[in-house]
Amino acid sequence: MIPARASRLQLGMVFLLLIVLHFYVRPRLGASRASPDFLFVGLLLYAMRSPPGAAALAGFAIGLAADSLTPARFGAATLAHTVVGYLASWTRAVFFADNLLVNAAFVASGLWLRDLIVLAVSGSADRSLLTELAVYSPLQAVTSALFALLVLLAFREWFSIRLDA
Amino acid sequence: MASASERSYTRRDTVTFLVCLGLSLVGLFSPDSWGLSIAAALRGSVLAPLVWLQVRAEEGKTSKVRLRAITAQRDSAAYLAQGLPSLLAENERLRQLLLLSRRLASSYVAAEVLHEAQATDGRTLLLSAGSRDGVSVFDPVVAPEGLIGVVLSVAKRTSIVMTWAHPEFRVSAFTVTGNAAGVVAPSTSGVGESALEFRGVPYRDSVPVGTLVLSSGLGGVYPKGIPVGAVTGVVREQAGWERVYRLRPAANPGSVAHVLILVAPSGDLGRAFPSDSMLRVQRLDSIERVRRTDSVAQAARDARARRADSIAALQRDTTRVRPRRVVQPDTMAGPVAPAAVPGDSAR
Repeated sequence: MIPARASRLQLGMVFLLLIVLHFYVRPRLGASRASPDFLFVGLLLYAMRSPPGAAALAGFAIGLAADSLTPARFGAATLAHTVVGYLASWTRAVFFADNLLVNAAFVASGLWLRDLIVLAVSGSADRSLLTELAVYSPLQAVTSALFALLVLLAFREWFSIRLDA
Repeated sequence: MASASERSYTRRDTVTFLVCLGLSLVGLFSPDSWGLSIAAALRGSVLAPLVWLQVRAEEGKTSKVRLRAITAQRDSAAYLAQGLPSLLAENERLRQLLLLSRRLASSYVAAEVLHEAQATDGRTLLLSAGSRDGVSVFDPVVAPEGLIGVVLSVAKRTSIVMTWAHPEFRVSAFTVTGNAAGVVAPSTSGVGESALEFRGVPYRDSVPVGTLVLSSGLGGVYPKGIPVGAVTGVVREQAGWERVYRLRPAANPGSVAHVLILVAPSGDLGRAFPSDSMLRVQRLDSIERVRRTDSVAQAARDARARRADSIAALQRDTTRVRPRRVVQPDTMAGPVAPAAVPGDSAR
């Protein structure tokens, strides 16, 4: 559940900022393959504070948007984001969702899992699959996790992050 | 134990997830055309603002690149414009050098001057031609304006020239009028290195200001007739027997970029270095020649135009005069009547 002290409006502003960053700032960044996936960061931050159904629905929406904008294999990103969002929401019960590093680790591993599902479902060749999962996906996972850390630090009150944990 | 509301909450989540998963699988395994049409519909409706944002970002990125390219082009144009006067001057110097090479009767080697940024640059010059090109020690070096100096040492690909500004430079010279002879050397009067002195002129021989001084050919190093400088005044005179004149050098070694090395100088080179007035006459002559050629061409064009006009007029006349032939089946096989000759009407 979203904590009481973080209003939905405040979190909505953060997610709006992430959307703008994703569609307006990200194309201007030099290395697009390694630049952070702002939408995915938003999805994970939302999923870790929401019920699994809502997280799956958010993942479905973001995946649908991704599939519509890059329709290499329609449905692959939708499936991947739905699964990752649902799993992220479930696994928060196992880990401490208010820990800063746990959030960052969730983002990194979730992004790698998303890429794995997308590539596997899209039917990528073995070699390109390995290259993506061994080089580009970890790079993007690291940058996305670092960016998630920045967001959580900047808006720690709204996301109920404990820095002393 | 979980309460009933929590169980329903979990069940609802599961159902939502399964619905989303099912829709994803439907999208995944549906025909490509369906997926593409759904994507297009979403891009045109819900995702339109995001696509617009992305387009703006791409435009911003490319406009930045374009601005950088335009700035680079502008800088290049400014740089070229800055170098244009010096290019024109170099072009003019090269033209003059080309003219000089055509006028020279003796063989020569063209060389580039490799200037060094030193205080003594101008006294000695480094040239881009050496023994491989046929250059040897004591070969005279000239520019279109006149004498530069003499080759002091030669390497395989380069050579060193002692110019007239060098303190040890000497050349035997005489006035273009032929009434005075002496030796030209760099000025020691403290006026500056850019001046020469015409020494050893007999006291009785007066040389007017502006007189051109040429190499005399004595000594065998410099051939006769190379301009050395022009008289600008008297430096000093030793009563009774000698006058020393100041000369304005004909050529400036400090600014020269290309020179000719005379590898086998012989005879009088006076005709290769015409005076300023002669050059002016030559230039005017060439301009007149061009003008004359132009006028001949213009006359030819006028004549052609007149001829074309008259032919057109004749054709108009003949079309008016020529009777229209009526072709009848009976006359088809018969002899054809001769047509009207256009030339006749001209007469």
